[in-house]
Amino acid sequence: MAEDVKPTRKNLMEIEDRIDLSERGHGTLEKKRDGLIMEFMDILDKAQDVRGELSDDYEEAQKKINMARAMEGDVAVRGAAAALQEHPEITTESKNIMGVVVPQIESSRVSKSLDERGYGIMGTSARIDEAAEAYEDLLESIILAAEVETAMKKMLREIETTKRRVNALEFKLLPELYENQEYIEQKLEEQEREETFRLKKIKEKKEQEEREEREAEADAAADEPEMEQATAGGVPGN
Amino acid sequence: MSQEIAVVGDPEFTTGFRLAGVRRFENVADEQKGTELDDAVTTVLDDEGVGIVVMHDDDLEHLSRNVRQDVETSVEPVVVTIGSGTGGGGLRDQIKRAIGIDLMEEDEEDNE
Repeated sequence: MAEDVKPTRKNLMEIEDRIDLSERGHGTLEKKRDGLIMEFMDILDKAQDVRGELSDDYEEAQKKINMARAMEGDVAVRGAAAALQEHPEITTESKNIMGVVVPQIESSRVSKSLDERGYGIMGTSARIDEAAEAYEDLLESIILAAEVETAMKKMLREIETTKRRVNALEFKLLPELYENQEYIEQKLEEQEREETFRLKKIKEKKEQEEREEREAEADAAADEPEMEQATAGGVPGN
Repeated sequence: MSQEIAVVGDPEFTTGFRLAGVRRFENVADEQKGTELDDAVTTVLDDEGVGIVVMHDDDLEHLSRNVRQDVETSVEPVVVTIGSGTGGGGLRDQIKRAIGIDLMEEDEEDNE
């Protein structure tokens, strides 16, 4: 609050420096926020495309596995699923978008050839192969969606933080600093006016004293000739 | 570090992914989702070897409030939900909060 600061010139200079810094920071953060939102919009478009593909792939994969279940029986499908030996793995690398580290997910061994799957060719039918292939495609889409959605979540978090900082500067810190600056300036002006008024008063008093002194001297000077006359007139009488 | 993909859901949901080679899975039968799904999701979220968790959209309804919030905000591992919805329930709220406008609204209207 404005009442907490001492109205000194040093404080005023400090506050002016802080205002300068905060205004610069506010401008920079605003630019960062706008930049992040623009980047986010690009990612959002991408995310919506990926989401669309993902639900198409999921529907397709479900159709295929239901068909396999209907033709081969649930046990055969589960048996084939349990026999898989190659497992998909993902490695994450990071990319920096305006200070936000977003992942880039690389996948390996997602799509496998028939002989790599491990459940054998003879014991299972083409329906199971089709279902496995559809699910491999779905996994690829999921990995892409994971990458895009992680990036979105991280960017949203950063946008929120930046927005909060911008608002804190704009609506809390800067108004307080302006208030303090105004308070100190007014106090200093008031002190200056008081000082001028005091000086005027002192000057008036001094002038008054000088005037009185001069009058006293003048009176004294006017009295002296009378006295001299009186003494001069008295001597001849003696 | 290489990580794995995990699937959480009913056996019918996880079988397909196992067919694609996913070996980290948590089977929770439909009737036990109310009680056991929370624990299953927490286990895979705490596992450092898991990079992506796949769940069905409808299963989110069975989660308790805290776990659901973890699922919606978790970045490592990231949870991808597939199924009926748009998959962006938590994300949509987050966008509304961060940007100030509902960016996903128009797309849903387009879909309708």
